[in-house]
Amino acid sequence: MASDAFTLGGKVFTSRLMTGTGKFTDFGVMREALAASGSQIVTVAIRRVELKAPGHDGLLDALDWDAVQLLPNTAGCRTADEALRVARLARVATGVNWIKLEVIPDARYLLPDPVGTLRAAEALAADGFTVLPYVQADAVLARALEDAGCAAVMPLASPIGSGRGLRSPELLRTVLDGARVPIIVDAGLGVPSDAAQALELGADAVLVNTAIAEARDPVGMAHAFALGVQAGRAAFLAGRMPERTHASPSSPLGGVVRLPDPEVPV
Amino acid sequence: MTRPATLPATLTVNGEARPLTPGLTLHALLRDLNVNPARVAVAVNDDFYPGARAPQRTLEAGDVIEIVRIIGGG
Repeated sequence: MASDAFTLGGKVFTSRLMTGTGKFTDFGVMREALAASGSQIVTVAIRRVELKAPGHDGLLDALDWDAVQLLPNTAGCRTADEALRVARLARVATGVNWIKLEVIPDARYLLPDPVGTLRAAEALAADGFTVLPYVQADAVLARALEDAGCAAVMPLASPIGSGRGLRSPELLRTVLDGARVPIIVDAGLGVPSDAAQALELGADAVLVNTAIAEARDPVGMAHAFALGVQAGRAAFLAGRMPERTHASPSSPLGGVVRLPDPEVPV
Repeated sequence: MTRPATLPATLTVNGEARPLTPGLTLHALLRDLNVNPARVAVAVNDDFYPGARAPQRTLEAGDVIEIVRIIGGG
């Protein structure tokens, strides 16, 4: 297949699998899994330093940040104002102005607040951030986020960490239809076929964390997701067959070898 | 904001109140907390600094300070 790169935030990427760094049992496994994934965009979180027992956890040392695009997130932020503060802290902490914007007031389902997300996205885009907002699969909201200057829109497949796969492909289709920025399916993918499905539908990329980190073999699963994404993208480019209500024989109807059938008149 | 003179001056650091020593700087606060400045980012109210380039800013009563770091997340 010819080069099939995609452009995000003015940069060109060849891998369409983005990977998070949460929940890994140790940095060695994380590093190997990220390598196996081929991911060129890697997500991290921002948290308060534990003042009673300070110390660094080594994440900054565990990865070659020159080789991957760092994507800090605002996970844990419940309001637009919290997300703005964390995004600005992330920028000075990393020197990177990319931000995966999460505004999530609801802890049970971790579903994003569309109004707060749009408000924060407008402020961050105006402040020079490359904004990648995490949202429900809502086409009207996606267009508003594009208009606000977001570099991508990241509709969820199913709740974060649930591994339930793409629960509303019809809604994702409406987001993809006419999108002017990359659409990256984020959250809820459980197995590589979920990622393949998202890419088959036309998503530009997916972001996966828990499905890799919580696999029995995270490195093997990272590789499997890389293959799933490649298969899905190749299928999208190749163009799927039309779906039909009834069967359609694959073999020619003429010249079929028949035995006399007593039920059928000659 | 005016405080009654009888109350001790405090800062809020990562959500917790902390007594303010007169003349305390941001640098000195990080040192007192045993935080490696190279590993963190700091906000003092609405001003944001990489820890390693935190200015010799004198902290004032009522300042709200966040000290954060990067951790694994998705």
